[in-house]
Amino acid sequence: MMLLAAVFGPLLFAVLSLAGPVRAARWWCLAGSALTLAIGGAALWDFVARPGADFRLQVEVPWSQVLGASLRFGVDSLSAAMLALSGLITLVATISGFAHERSPRSYHGLVLLLLAAMNAVFVTLDLLVFYVAWEVLLVPMLLLIGLFGGEQRRYAALKFFIYTLAGSVMMLALLVLLWSVTPAEGRRVAVPAKAVAAVSIDGGQTLHGLRVERSDTTPGAALVLLVPRSFDLRHLALQWQTWREVRFLGMPLSAFGFLALLLACLVKVPAVPLHTWLPHAHVQAPTAVSILLAGVLLKLGVYGLYRIALPLFPREVYTWAPTLGWLGLLGILWGALVALGQRDLKRLVAYSSVSHMGFCLLGLGSLTFAGLAGGMVQAVTHGLSAALLFLLVGVLYDRAHHRRIDGFGGLAQPMPRFAWLLLVAALAGAGLPGLAGFPGEFLGLSGAFTSSAPFPLLGALACLSVILSAAYLLGMVRKVVYGPLQHQEHAQFADCDRRELLAALPLVVGLVVLGVWPKPLVEALRPALEALLLHVRSALS
Amino acid sequence: MSASFPTDAAAQVAQLWPELWLAAGIPAVLVADMLLPTAKKVATAWLGIGACLAAAIAACSGAPGSIEGMITVDAMTPFVRCLIASLTALLLVLGTGQRALADRGAHTVCVLGVALGSSIAAVSANLLPLWLGLEMVSLGSYGLAAWKGGDRRAAEAGMKFVLFGGLASACTLFGMSHVYGLTGHLDFAGIGAAFANMPVVALAALGLVAVGVAYKLTIVPFHFYAPDVYEGAPALSVAVVGLAPKVGALVALARGVQLAVPRTLAGPEVLGTALAAAAGASLLLAAFTALAQRDAKRILAFSGIGHAGTAVLALACLPAEGALRAALLQVLSYSVATLGALACLAVVEQDRGSCRLEALRGLGRERPWLAALLCVFLFSLAGVPPLAGFFGKWVVLQQALGFGFGGARSAVGVAALLLVLSTALSAWAYLLVVRAVVLQPAAEPARPSERVAMPVVVVLAICGAAVLAIGFWLDRCVALLA
Repeated sequence: MMLLAAVFGPLLFAVLSLAGPVRAARWWCLAGSALTLAIGGAALWDFVARPGADFRLQVEVPWSQVLGASLRFGVDSLSAAMLALSGLITLVATISGFAHERSPRSYHGLVLLLLAAMNAVFVTLDLLVFYVAWEVLLVPMLLLIGLFGGEQRRYAALKFFIYTLAGSVMMLALLVLLWSVTPAEGRRVAVPAKAVAAVSIDGGQTLHGLRVERSDTTPGAALVLLVPRSFDLRHLALQWQTWREVRFLGMPLSAFGFLALLLACLVKVPAVPLHTWLPHAHVQAPTAVSILLAGVLLKLGVYGLYRIALPLFPREVYTWAPTLGWLGLLGILWGALVALGQRDLKRLVAYSSVSHMGFCLLGLGSLTFAGLAGGMVQAVTHGLSAALLFLLVGVLYDRAHHRRIDGFGGLAQPMPRFAWLLLVAALAGAGLPGLAGFPGEFLGLSGAFTSSAPFPLLGALACLSVILSAAYLLGMVRKVVYGPLQHQEHAQFADCDRRELLAALPLVVGLVVLGVWPKPLVEALRPALEALLLHVRSALS
Repeated sequence: MSASFPTDAAAQVAQLWPELWLAAGIPAVLVADMLLPTAKKVATAWLGIGACLAAAIAACSGAPGSIEGMITVDAMTPFVRCLIASLTALLLVLGTGQRALADRGAHTVCVLGVALGSSIAAVSANLLPLWLGLEMVSLGSYGLAAWKGGDRRAAEAGMKFVLFGGLASACTLFGMSHVYGLTGHLDFAGIGAAFANMPVVALAALGLVAVGVAYKLTIVPFHFYAPDVYEGAPALSVAVVGLAPKVGALVALARGVQLAVPRTLAGPEVLGTALAAAAGASLLLAAFTALAQRDAKRILAFSGIGHAGTAVLALACLPAEGALRAALLQVLSYSVATLGALACLAVVEQDRGSCRLEALRGLGRERPWLAALLCVFLFSLAGVPPLAGFFGKWVVLQQALGFGFGGARSAVGVAALLLVLSTALSAWAYLLVVRAVVLQPAAEPARPSERVAMPVVVVLAICGAAVLAIGFWLDRCVALLA
């Protein structure tokens, strides 16, 4: 029920916001994000207190037998962390856009619609619902950028829409194929005893709600299950071997499926060279939308790889892992180098996102526990640090109405609080130990170093980005806030007001807490990630 | 024999009730049109709406059967007739919202004629009623396409429609004469049996017959009139010409493929490949060409071509169970979204005189609800879930990818992948309209616009609800289809 509320609550609030009085809209938005944060936070806390690889808060509402889809919702620690992040970032974005003056009803309504779709992606256990939500969230994003963005908003919005739609359209073919190759009466699947630990068994009788037909306790023996035709992700994962055996257009279905999924996710991450929509979207989007984009939307791609690619196509992930690693490295270095050359604050932060998200791919590709954990932790912490950076760029833009780095200087004098916050955000982004940028990158790198070739090499090269990110982020801080005041009219700038501080507060707290003490998060993630790794290993043997 | 004749006749007439209601509506409207004063001519439209509703109700209660091999009523007929009659009723309701509609009585007659023709084509199991249905559709459509009296574009549209339509009809008739000459049969089942051992000739003759059907369906290469007609004709006429006739032609094609094509050809090797090729060509051409268009109605024309290709792709799997159902769901979702979009465009056309993209700019500021609905319909056509269009595409893909594995069937599989690709491509074209409507500011300051007429609001509400509800109650919708 809680998860239904996390999806349909924001949806209901969106309708209320669109149809209700103008002044109420922002409060609905606040309520929707607080609701998500509460549910996500409670779920995550449950995993911190009682670690486990199981899916909790499960609920299933039948939708359509023709489609084979149900509203199957459930969270493991990965989804709980993402849900909490989605609630927190939306809350921050809402506070930062609280005084939005132009058509507040549609603005807040669209943010709520986006929130509902993001939450649905994070909590669904049904591949079709995942796809539906994945596509639905393009529409509010398109309108948010296109209606409320800067000068070139239309171009940026359409580019974003087309890139992401084109990326995910082959996923549609994948879904239909998975369905078409399964007989209507279901398929008998033998699960090797080794793999059983990777999937949870409830008292030895049922596995993911499926009755175990023959179970044997002798080593190496298999469970036999009758897996019905549906889009339940857990059931699809049990059939990973079948996807390898079926051929489509001269290649195994699993290869086609993995590539389709990879394309969809890499566009979202975004991985170089599919990243070119991101700088435009970020620069043109209003501050709150940039926060949402960097804070949550980019994580969808990483989450998709963890939630779908790893369980459904473990062998393909293994085969392609070095490619993922190289793509991650390319993103890390390319993003950092391009960020070095930026003169626009938002473009700089956008390219730093490209660079930081590369660590998620590198960690995932290493297929070690540290790497996988690093990828997820990096996804969460980058959400916090990028959101803070975009928030602060927005603060500056509200006052100066431009974002050129060389158009500022010495802002620490009129805006001391702002200067502190910017320094914290930049240091977190640069991976200073003690702030949240560090654990993600460290885990990702140590995963790479403990993995097989070529990952140690990739890790070594990725270390360069620590220098590069310090150079572009601290260089930006130096030019913007330190030194003598460059422009006398900036002396009139007001420091961060209470609303801006309130928006920044949860992010700073999150950055410090996760930086000093990331262990609870990592330990909460551990069982789910180890189950994933075990799944991959048992697929290899 | 003679003793049972009256009950037989009564039973046979009972199977034709929906068509009879539509047919009865035509003289009733003509008489009413003569008697009523000009100010009250709207009543003729309501008379027509009554006839359509009666036809829709009669369609729901019909039992399966056939009349002398001429007309056949099967499991999918109630849905098809009901869809044609309700679409026509909605169109007439939409027409009552247009105050300036010229010659309303004659307009209603044409609309009813198109509906009657489509309905007859959809139930025909013989070349004669098929021909009758197609020609009734043509006659009504030619008039409607040129309904904007004095407008050069409309006149050009009408003229193109007549000339090419005449050519397509001639091909069909020519093919029919061959079929009759070769087999001595006009009923589909007889043709199929008689053609069994002359596959090559059968392919030529039936191919010629199919030209007329493909013309109504706007399948490549018989699509070329559609963009000009859509652009030139008023939006209301476009909806009449582009929806019900397509339903009728699609069902006629399905029945022809099932019955008239001999077994030797009916497999996936020949027929499946041919249909998949036609579908793939339509999809690709529609997706690419739509990108270059600068008129919303032209974009809808190419959307119609692409969606017809999608429905034909479902028919390419035809011996397979569920193929018909997929085609019908696709047509249903296409029809409601297109009707809604054209209803919105009809309002714009009245306001601004054109549906070119420049003319659409700033609509979001001027009429926010209308613009939002138009976007919903366009997103549905683009296949964005969870709107109806997504599920229409989904069921066709489900059919085609499940069917098109390897060997002779791979043409269907390739066409299915083309469907996926064209979905992404054509989304760009719909987005061009969305961009103009929502994102771009108007060239001139907003004019004070009068309220949208009540009948239009009703039609928009029904279409909007349908576009949202089809996905929600998909199982029930599919159960209705057959």
